[in-house]
Amino acid sequence: MSGGLLVDVIFWLFAAGALVTGYRVFRTDSMVRAAFYLLASFAAVGGILVLLGAEFVGMVLILMMAGEMLIMAIVMVMYMMNPAGLNPMWMVHQHRVAVAAGVLAFAVLAAPVLLVDFPDRPNPAPEEATAQLGEELLGDSMLVFQTAGVGLLSTMIGVVVLASRRGRYGEADEGSSEPSLELQDAESR
Amino acid sequence: MSLETILLVAAALFGIGVYGALSQQSFVMLMMGLELMINGGILALVAFWAFTAGGNPQGQMLAIVFMTVMAVEMALGFALITNVYRVRRADITEKLRRLKG
Amino acid sequence: MDYASPPIALIAVGLAMAAGVYLIAVLDRSIAVLVGAGRWTWRGAIVGPIRSAALLLVQRRRTTERPDSPGWTLAPALLTGLAAVALAMVPIGPDMAAADPSTGFVVFSAAIVFVMIAVFLHGWSPNSALAMHGAYRFGAQALSFQIPFLLAMLATALPAESLSIVDIVDAQEPLWNVVRQPLGLPLYLVVGVAVSFWGPLNLPDASDLAGGTSVEDSGVARLLWKSARAAMLVAVAAMGAAGFLGGWWGPWLPGPVWMVIKAVALLTLLLVAGHLLPRVRIQRFVVIAWVILIPLALVNIFVSGALLL
Repeated sequence: MSGGLLVDVIFWLFAAGALVTGYRVFRTDSMVRAAFYLLASFAAVGGILVLLGAEFVGMVLILMMAGEMLIMAIVMVMYMMNPAGLNPMWMVHQHRVAVAAGVLAFAVLAAPVLLVDFPDRPNPAPEEATAQLGEELLGDSMLVFQTAGVGLLSTMIGVVVLASRRGRYGEADEGSSEPSLELQDAESR
Repeated sequence: MSLETILLVAAALFGIGVYGALSQQSFVMLMMGLELMINGGILALVAFWAFTAGGNPQGQMLAIVFMTVMAVEMALGFALITNVYRVRRADITEKLRRLKG
Repeated sequence: MDYASPPIALIAVGLAMAAGVYLIAVLDRSIAVLVGAGRWTWRGAIVGPIRSAALLLVQRRRTTERPDSPGWTLAPALLTGLAAVALAMVPIGPDMAAADPSTGFVVFSAAIVFVMIAVFLHGWSPNSALAMHGAYRFGAQALSFQIPFLLAMLATALPAESLSIVDIVDAQEPLWNVVRQPLGLPLYLVVGVAVSFWGPLNLPDASDLAGGTSVEDSGVARLLWKSARAAMLVAVAAMGAAGFLGGWWGPWLPGPVWMVIKAVALLTLLLVAGHLLPRVRIQRFVVIAWVILIPLALVNIFVSGALLL
């Protein structure tokens, strides 16, 4: 896309921000900060999407992710033993395998990018991207839209049933006990 | 800001997500790795839409479907984490040992 | 569409926010005096905000044990930035707007949604129990009001057939949205009070939590947080005037003057409600938001959609 130096600088800022904060998610001790680092990564990607011309998709991504990351932060505080990062933490398993898999995934995805000659039919000045998307949503792709809506509704119902305290076989926290404090056999370096 | 650079950024995000999903012991951190992978996917999709599809609105529609899938995955993931914790008192993957060989 | 250049837009939004914050402080004190049947003095109402701001500026800073310092400093700055983004979406006149993206409505909504991140950070960072309590309350409050907020604002986009705020105001030329969609403005006001946590819905900074998320704030941080909250209220009132009260349409006076008059009217209404209504319990508000406000917002959308067809 044309746009000059300013657009390129902003794009590189957003891209670097997305990658750095995405990496910091897994290296920080504080769990709430991890959730907000992921939010920053998503916000940077949303910014790149707006730069590419998909305004609605970018802004809706940012909107959705704010809500999701708040839930993530609250779930972190519920389930992690060190949510504020007051003690250093390093809870990984198969670390070398994971690093190798990550690098391999990047290599497998980057190889076609560098080797394939992509066609160049850039988006013609997307001034009406939102209106186009609106007409598409309620026109040709209405079935997809409605299916997604029904899928979300069934997810909501299913999730509330799964997580509710009043289960089919009794209260959800009967038969469960306080979390134990020992973890040593599970933590590995 | 060319198609190749954006796809490389998306591939890097995906790689970081794979690293996170495979290496983290805690369920919630594992889900964060999955989120990063879908993040990279959405970026690659919209980059293709902007540079090669010539403004076909179905590209944006597919991006919205991706985001729907992400929302569904997160919601179900958290519900299952809650249930696993209630039944087996497990908050990290190492504690689920019943099917371990 | 004639956009302002970015530096001018920044300065204009900043000045509007500063003026709005000062106006809220003056109005708040005046209404408090009137409601409490006291005497209104120049020194109390007009000079008062400046004196208390100066006092907060020189107050000694306190800190807690192992706070999340970057987060604690980020929270008021983030809230101010969100208020600036939200206010920048509101057009002043038919040819004057700080920014008019084709998805202005979504940008405004994203700024509103991010407020809950700012408040959660503000309550989480001091590493203090009461602050955390306030942050969790706002989490419940924010997740409950978001759907009624989006639905109520979405109904204003229906007659305009566009998500751009300028188009939404333009579509109100024949008839203001408050007349076409009578449920819209009360819903929006309730949700607006909830998002800027003022008055009856001031649950995160509640006095039964000894100040809630700002319990450990002191000095400059306290002043910044209060100003950021007031700036958010200004943005909410301005968008209410643009979306429901017809923006710049009106006889005799030029457009921007009408815009300011309508925004100040909504602001006064919200401040009076803040002084007259008691604070609602979080349990009751959550139930009301999910059980009453969402069906009302859906009815609003159905009716306005049916009227359009």
